[in-house]
Amino acid sequence: MNKKKSLVFSKKVYAFLIPALVLFLTFWIVPIIQLFYYSITNFNGTNYNYSFVGLKNYIRVFQDGSLINACQNTIIYTALIVVFSNLLGLGIAMLLNTEIRAKGIFRTCAYMPALFSAIVVGFIWSYVYMPGNGMLATLLSFCGIDGNKVNVLAGFQSSLYGIAVVDIWKNFGTTMIIYLAGLQTVDTSLLEAGKIDGCTEWQLFRLVKLPLISATVTINVILNVIAGLKAFDYSFIMTNGGPGKATETLMFVIYQMAFVEQKMGRASAFSVVSFILIITVTVLMLIYMNKKEVEL
Amino acid sequence: MKQKKKRGYSIIYLLLIIFCLVIILPLVIVFSSSLRHVANQSSPLLLFSELSLESYRKAFQNMNYPLAFLNSLMTTTGSVAVVVIIASMAAYPIARIKTKLARFLYFFFIAGLVVPSQMAIIPIAQMFGRLHIPNTRFTPMIMFITCSLPFSVFLFTGFMKSVPIEVEEAAFLDGAGLPTRFFKIVFPLLKPAVTSVIITQGLWIWNDYFYPMVFISKRALYSLPVCMVQFLGDKENPAQWNVLFAACVLCALPLVLMFMILQKQFVNGIAAGAVKG
Amino acid sequence: MKKVLALMLTSAMIVTTFVGCGNSAAATEPAATTAAEEAAPEEEAAVDSTAEESVEETTAETSAEDVYDHTALENAGDITLTMMLSGTETEDDFDTKILPELVKAKWPNVTLEVTKLPDDNYYTALKTKLASGECPDMILVQPKYAGANGCYNLASAGYLAPLNDMDCMSKIGNLSESFTLDSQIYGIANGVSILGTYYNKDMFDQYGLKEPTTWDEFLNVCKTLKDNDIQPITMGDKDQYVLQFGLYQLAAAEIYSENAAYDDGLYTGETAFTDAGTWDHVLEMYAELYDKGYIDGAASMGTGSSQAIQQFIDGEAAMTFDGSFNVTALCAEGTAGDFARGYFPLPGDKGVLTAEICAGAGPAISANSKYINECKELLDYWYNGESEIWDAYVATGKYTVTYGNGSDSLNALFTPFVDLMDAGQGYYWCNQAWPSGVAEEMEALFYEHVGGQGTTIEDVTKGMQFKFEDLSEE
Repeated sequence: MNKKKSLVFSKKVYAFLIPALVLFLTFWIVPIIQLFYYSITNFNGTNYNYSFVGLKNYIRVFQDGSLINACQNTIIYTALIVVFSNLLGLGIAMLLNTEIRAKGIFRTCAYMPALFSAIVVGFIWSYVYMPGNGMLATLLSFCGIDGNKVNVLAGFQSSLYGIAVVDIWKNFGTTMIIYLAGLQTVDTSLLEAGKIDGCTEWQLFRLVKLPLISATVTINVILNVIAGLKAFDYSFIMTNGGPGKATETLMFVIYQMAFVEQKMGRASAFSVVSFILIITVTVLMLIYMNKKEVEL
Repeated sequence: MKQKKKRGYSIIYLLLIIFCLVIILPLVIVFSSSLRHVANQSSPLLLFSELSLESYRKAFQNMNYPLAFLNSLMTTTGSVAVVVIIASMAAYPIARIKTKLARFLYFFFIAGLVVPSQMAIIPIAQMFGRLHIPNTRFTPMIMFITCSLPFSVFLFTGFMKSVPIEVEEAAFLDGAGLPTRFFKIVFPLLKPAVTSVIITQGLWIWNDYFYPMVFISKRALYSLPVCMVQFLGDKENPAQWNVLFAACVLCALPLVLMFMILQKQFVNGIAAGAVKG
Repeated sequence: MKKVLALMLTSAMIVTTFVGCGNSAAATEPAATTAAEEAAPEEEAAVDSTAEESVEETTAETSAEDVYDHTALENAGDITLTMMLSGTETEDDFDTKILPELVKAKWPNVTLEVTKLPDDNYYTALKTKLASGECPDMILVQPKYAGANGCYNLASAGYLAPLNDMDCMSKIGNLSESFTLDSQIYGIANGVSILGTYYNKDMFDQYGLKEPTTWDEFLNVCKTLKDNDIQPITMGDKDQYVLQFGLYQLAAAEIYSENAAYDDGLYTGETAFTDAGTWDHVLEMYAELYDKGYIDGAASMGTGSSQAIQQFIDGEAAMTFDGSFNVTALCAEGTAGDFARGYFPLPGDKGVLTAEICAGAGPAISANSKYINECKELLDYWYNGESEIWDAYVATGKYTVTYGNGSDSLNALFTPFVDLMDAGQGYYWCNQAWPSGVAEEMEALFYEHVGGQGTTIEDVTKGMQFKFEDLSEE
């Protein structure tokens, strides 16, 4: 077996890797290594007369209060989008997986927001949330509630939820389509068999469908976790981290540090720590979800 | 029994209709406002109370739309084409050779997914400086291609594994070399993966404003999303909304049309990307 | 089992990827990577030294000849000069539309490419372009340390060319001080910028109110308006930088009029943000406006700056703190029609009148530009006080110029401020003397305070001091 393979595929086949690998190394991996290097300097992003400061930047990462706040915000944000994107996505996908008509139209509506650029989405939702003339305020005034008092992005408690809703609105369509594909692979004969055995709808879902689409659940959860941990766009476009520091996510803080406070070295240290954080969380999630998959 | 089923369906319809209305409402309002005169500041909730193309004309001019559209189109198609070719090539040895090195490379590429681009932008820019790559139309494309590699390689590898080795063995016996085998036999069998890469990667490349913004120095080379950045100051100014909304519609229109026409491919492409992995 | 194994491998691989990237990379691509990596520090040094060299060269040149080549543009052949600015485009934008046309008309062989990005995006784009060695020929810099494009930081890193030999410098005079580092001038002041309080004169007249000259009078004005169901002040607090517009006026009156060297003291340790009666006092005064509802915090924190301007011209509020650079927008006609506007400096507790007036951010020339002399000639023509470009620039109404055409027809709104400056009561904007990031910290903490997040005024000043010490250390 092994011999045959080496016949068909000589070592030359590695040459196919070269273009991709060259690009990937030069423009992605080497810059990231450079980031590791900067994380032990006091480089400010512009002046190359920098010196080494050892692990000082890393020590600062753990002393700095802004990291705790940013981590909290990021975790809440991630939890929100993971839970709601998946619940909504799976729910709608299940409704669409019945024998109804005009599936295409519903699917289009649900997926439409995913086609928009983050910056356009930011514009649209700035309008939705605006006090006074915005969509939400006007609708609420229509219902007899003073719309001017509802000011989602201005509230210290509500603004983070506000931008999480935007993210969910934009991205749950993708999640839904992936679930839909997963559900379509479920063998209907299994469901029929279940029905004959007298299973309730819930039992059918819990005991038959869910285990069969567990791989899809895993991929959706992981994709949403990564998206949540990397969240930056709406804090940047819609709230600029405010009010106060209520919507500062991990990436936003790092960005601010590098580009406003000109602490490239420290921002690099933060980046390194967050890489490790994101990778750890992702891998742990993978292990946990895979375990669940097996159990189911 | 049948009646119960019927009632069940009407509930499903009702739920779906309400939900879709909620989702689509902001977009409908944006669209209706964009069809108003620039100065019309009545409540945007009065849907389609006026039909005029004035705001569009203005947005069209402000964005320099035809040029920006062409730039977006060229950048996106160019990047996606290159990604499809080099990522599928890279997946070939990774999928076909069962050594530790191949496995390592597989995870090596995937790991690239977790790094957000804002963090590494300064060292990336320094790399461009070191290699003396000037700011041209192609500079952001290099980054688009690089950032698309992890996911594309991952996807192609998944698909390539399902292409039976036997078809290649036959060709091998007929004396076909590696390039012939890859391009003539394997690649044509990867159509679903190619669609999936084109759609998932094309979508983010078309919508990204970050790389073109930092790596392009000429207005004439700006893509659509970068032109939208110029409107940032207007987003909370009701007096500018109609034009802003028209610009939003213009920016999203090409993708929406594409989606309408190629819905099936879109849906399959996105799903294939996730399910295969 | 297979899956678990795969997972363990993933994690192991990912970890190796990040810990030992160099090794793995070297294994597959030995030549390319190692070379690139090793070259990195050296080349940086090289870039650095070239930057320094070019600075030295130009200095040497200037001292030898004392004038640059004034016919550089004419002899340059077909060239394209690039320029990058911050801000948002308006209709018939001067910078991006009119300026390039006028340059083309004057020198048909010269094409000026102007790009304009909103502030945060501008900082990012600028830093990226500096890092990739693709800096535009001309960029916008702010006075002293202000912002990420602060002139001092860029100049000390060797990115800016000295402009001492330019003809317009003699006309600009003292304003260049904010762009001068080690007796070299690195930027051209765009006239003066003022921070003040715009008010609706018609509303004031209606209730018999006058421009206040003490803080108590100001509070009374607000109270009268509020009692008559008029929102006294509107602010676009969602764009948190607007805090500076009002607060700095108070700071000038309360802190800087007593100790002009306050900011220098911050660096030497003689003064601190936490000193009693300085910033705590000013912040408390400003917070009072929120406590009493003169600024409706709940609404303003969801309001953007351009929306606040709109509210002012729509007559929904009687006052707003804003700068001279927004005068065109603030004097535009809204739904309230063409009411009379006034502009006054916020008075302090002790009735001291001061003006927040200083050199506005302006263009600088990149030290690495191939066309330094060409840019100088262009800018000299622009800023000579009488050229077509100058006239168009003045006509935008955004810049308050101190010499040449248009300086005598100064917007009447600004006269009191210029008079105060001439009387020695003009102060620069506080953040210009602070490392970039201190003002942002102040904003975030202050809004937490007025937003009832349990942040006290003491926390704000402590936070500012902490940030200052943190950011000013090398």
